[in-house]
Amino acid sequence: MIDFLILLLLMPVAGALFILFLPEQRQPWIRPTALITATLTLLYTLYLATQMDFSNPAVQLVAEYQWNKRLGTYFSFGVDGLSYPLVALTNLLTLAAIAVSTQIKERIKGYYILLLLLEAATMGVFLTQGWALFYVFWELVLIPLFFLIDRWGGVNRQRAALNFVLYTMGGSVFMLLGLLMLFDANPEHRFLFASVKRASAVIPPETQTLIFLGLMIGLGVKMPLFPLHGWLPLAHVEAPSPVSILLSGILLKMGAYGLIRSAEMLPAAALNLQNFMMALGMIGMLYGGLLAWRQSDLKKMIAYSSVSHMGVVMIGIAALNENGLMGAAYQMVAHGLVAGALFMLIGLLYERTHTRDINDYGSLLRATPRFAVLIILALVGGVGLPGTAGFIGELHALIGGFERWGWLVAVLSLGMLITATYSLRTVKQLYTGPVNLSMQQVPDLKPLELAAGGILVAGTLLLGFYPLPLLNVLLSSLQAIAAPFGA
Amino acid sequence: MTEWLHRLLLLIPLLPLLAGFWIGLGVIFKWNRGEQGERETALLAVGSALLVFLALLGLAVYSAVNGSLGTIIISRWLESGNIQASVSLLFDGLSLSLATVFSFIILLTLHFSVNYLHREASFQRFFLIMCLFHTAMLLIVLGGNLMVTFVGWELAGISSYLLISYSWQREYASTNATRAFVTNRVGDAGFLLAIFMALIYWGNCDWEALLVQSQMEPGLVANLIVLGLILAACIKSAQFPFSAWISHALEGPTPSSGVFYGSVMVHAGIYLLLRLSPMLEQMPIIAWLLAAMGLATVVYAWFLAQMQTDIKSSLIFSTLMQVGMMVVAIAAGWTTLALIHLVLHAIWRIYQFLWSPSFLQQTSSPAPAAPAWFQNNLWLHNACLQRFWLDRLADTFLVKPTRLLAHEAQLFDQQVVDRLTGTPSHTNVLSTLVQMQALQTGSLQLSNQVGIGSGIFGKLLQRIAEIMEWFEERLVLKSSSDGLAGLATVLGERAELVETYLRQPRYMLVLIAATLVVVL
Repeated sequence: MIDFLILLLLMPVAGALFILFLPEQRQPWIRPTALITATLTLLYTLYLATQMDFSNPAVQLVAEYQWNKRLGTYFSFGVDGLSYPLVALTNLLTLAAIAVSTQIKERIKGYYILLLLLEAATMGVFLTQGWALFYVFWELVLIPLFFLIDRWGGVNRQRAALNFVLYTMGGSVFMLLGLLMLFDANPEHRFLFASVKRASAVIPPETQTLIFLGLMIGLGVKMPLFPLHGWLPLAHVEAPSPVSILLSGILLKMGAYGLIRSAEMLPAAALNLQNFMMALGMIGMLYGGLLAWRQSDLKKMIAYSSVSHMGVVMIGIAALNENGLMGAAYQMVAHGLVAGALFMLIGLLYERTHTRDINDYGSLLRATPRFAVLIILALVGGVGLPGTAGFIGELHALIGGFERWGWLVAVLSLGMLITATYSLRTVKQLYTGPVNLSMQQVPDLKPLELAAGGILVAGTLLLGFYPLPLLNVLLSSLQAIAAPFGA
Repeated sequence: MTEWLHRLLLLIPLLPLLAGFWIGLGVIFKWNRGEQGERETALLAVGSALLVFLALLGLAVYSAVNGSLGTIIISRWLESGNIQASVSLLFDGLSLSLATVFSFIILLTLHFSVNYLHREASFQRFFLIMCLFHTAMLLIVLGGNLMVTFVGWELAGISSYLLISYSWQREYASTNATRAFVTNRVGDAGFLLAIFMALIYWGNCDWEALLVQSQMEPGLVANLIVLGLILAACIKSAQFPFSAWISHALEGPTPSSGVFYGSVMVHAGIYLLLRLSPMLEQMPIIAWLLAAMGLATVVYAWFLAQMQTDIKSSLIFSTLMQVGMMVVAIAAGWTTLALIHLVLHAIWRIYQFLWSPSFLQQTSSPAPAAPAWFQNNLWLHNACLQRFWLDRLADTFLVKPTRLLAHEAQLFDQQVVDRLTGTPSHTNVLSTLVQMQALQTGSLQLSNQVGIGSGIFGKLLQRIAEIMEWFEERLVLKSSSDGLAGLATVLGERAELVETYLRQPRYMLVLIAATLVVVL
């Protein structure tokens, strides 16, 4: 029998190896190879959907091999309704990021190898079925990312990369401690998700809470939770745009995904910390939104808006019911598409104008209508206007939160209001107002870029207008996760 | 089976609408423009009107033989609590005869207009609006309840507005269109009041049910409903003192003026009164009021008709007089007489209107002057010249106070509300070309608006955001930029210091001594 998922993980690695062994005179092959690899991976992922039964909440396409018997670690992969959309999102955004990487002109061999390795490592995080392997992939993501920011980033890239790694590692220490405690507390002494879930009935709630806090610090740095988001503005701004796409499009989702999994493993702890998580989500949402409003640097603004959107995800998770989790998961996918599209478009705009200050722009509508359509749609998608995926996500989170806390979630709509404020401000500044003569010669999107951005924006609209397929994919898994928490 | 046939009946009012829609599509997508499109447009408009006319004629013959079809419910539309409304059409003697006559008149007028408007720039627009109007009239006459009739009522108002302002380039035309439309809206308020009362108190606004209900419970509700509808009817039929608008409404092409104000739309009010006539019989006071109104209109129109020097105006006042007489007849209870009067008048008047453009070629003598006694009575003469000051009165008592109030409201809005809500002012907008050039040469800088709020909430938001930004800069970013890395540096320096101390032998000795002390 073929292990579908291991094959999936190896596909980008194989592409990376192929690029690695390309001889020096074959430089022009590198980009097409990366593009083809990413396309094939995406197609294969879509094919896997036909092999799965999404009405079944169980983990599917399982591949399990013993790794270290004494430590109880396994190479265990599997996919369910929650992780599949995230894997698909990873592959889609990687493809989009590679498609718009034309401005990377030096050391392209290393660049594309690292991008493909990053894709494999990220998929690993979503596919693994054991905490040990989860941790390994979690750390593995850091390595390509560190080099991508450090070698190809902006002026302050070294500081940004170092900061990013230090923050994540610092969080990881707590996660590791939590995992060790978990291993110790688990009578089976295993890291497998299934085993931990069985053990959660035996582990006392206090221990669970401690373990959960440890995990939450580690995962929260990535997510990012207020006040652990210090690395984010710098890293997003300094990273090259394609990497920013991946950074905010997928890497933030790793944290939220891990948090949902931890809540599933340690239900008692999740219930104990429910209000705390909600408060963190609320603070993050308002704080991120307000700071985004204060930024005149476009990339920084989107970075802070990510903090705000992940706050909504956090509120959805904290609600610990079907609607809340659905909102969180849907919002993750929606934000992945929207943030990916925004970073891509702003990055492409920066390539042409060499400024990210919003005050330098004005009346771009005539010069760059394609940019205008896509950026406006993406910003509107970020606001969560009905008809975009964000609306479905926020609506579910709102309903879930309301079921749990009642009218307190009115704050959530305040957050949306703030989002609307800075999004519309941005549209106004970019496309209306006094004509800036130096901006009238800005070239519009090229066909490949238009396709890449168009697919992300179209995805947002599609998921907004016809949410049923994705809801169905997520539903049964989330029902299973929400079941222990009751109504 | 019969249900399906009943549904098909909806096509009668909708067919002209579909034709108009198709003409509109053709104009938008450019396959139907200018002279090449005239054939298609005319075919669509005249064809749909012909089909409707034939269908109505068939239905009229059918109901004459087999008895009236009565109210036909096409689909349910709105149900909320005990309020019900459906899309229904009423096919009784009154509605069928009027619908047939009106359709016939519209059909003939459309056919006439094909040549009359040949090579007119807005040929398509005219026929589109005429199609809309045809649908509107059919809905008014055939509507089975107040709501369906009201839809037609409004559509007629809109198409009237659009045709008065047919040559919108002339300011006079568009001003008069607005005037006519606004006057009609006053009547709509009465209509809406009637619908509201009927729905709230009787839960139903079907014509047939209304008549039954008003017999069962006469009283304030029934009176209010009838009053509201009479207000609407009198304004639509331009009864005194609401007559002023119709004499200004003749700005459109002559065929449309003829159809709207000469023969079809002006009778919509009479139709409404005819529908209400069984109820009127029980309300003598309202009937007297109505009779007085009709009589006043007759007198008013007769005097004014003496003064007119152009053909369209004299025709319109003569129309008003006839309509006033119909109102008097209805108030007196002679409904059959009124109906026959209506039909004959409509047909005769459209003939006169369509003939009026060639009036000067057909007649040899100029229009006769007003009679001598009339010319001698200076006061009356003056009053007629000023059209009894109806316009002036409306301006003084309605338009001016409204304008003043609007002015005050705007002042309040600018001075208070805008400041509180922070509506963007003109401060950051380039107002002159000089500023624009200055901006481009770089000597003028627009102020940075990022993160600046206006109004109460905006300022509040700004304050909070500033505090948070301060927090972010001081505690999160600073500690992280120098922070984690910085902490490592500092700790590393300390460790290096310890290391250098430890590397010196004397400290080693001290350390050993200290250890010994502890151990011992």
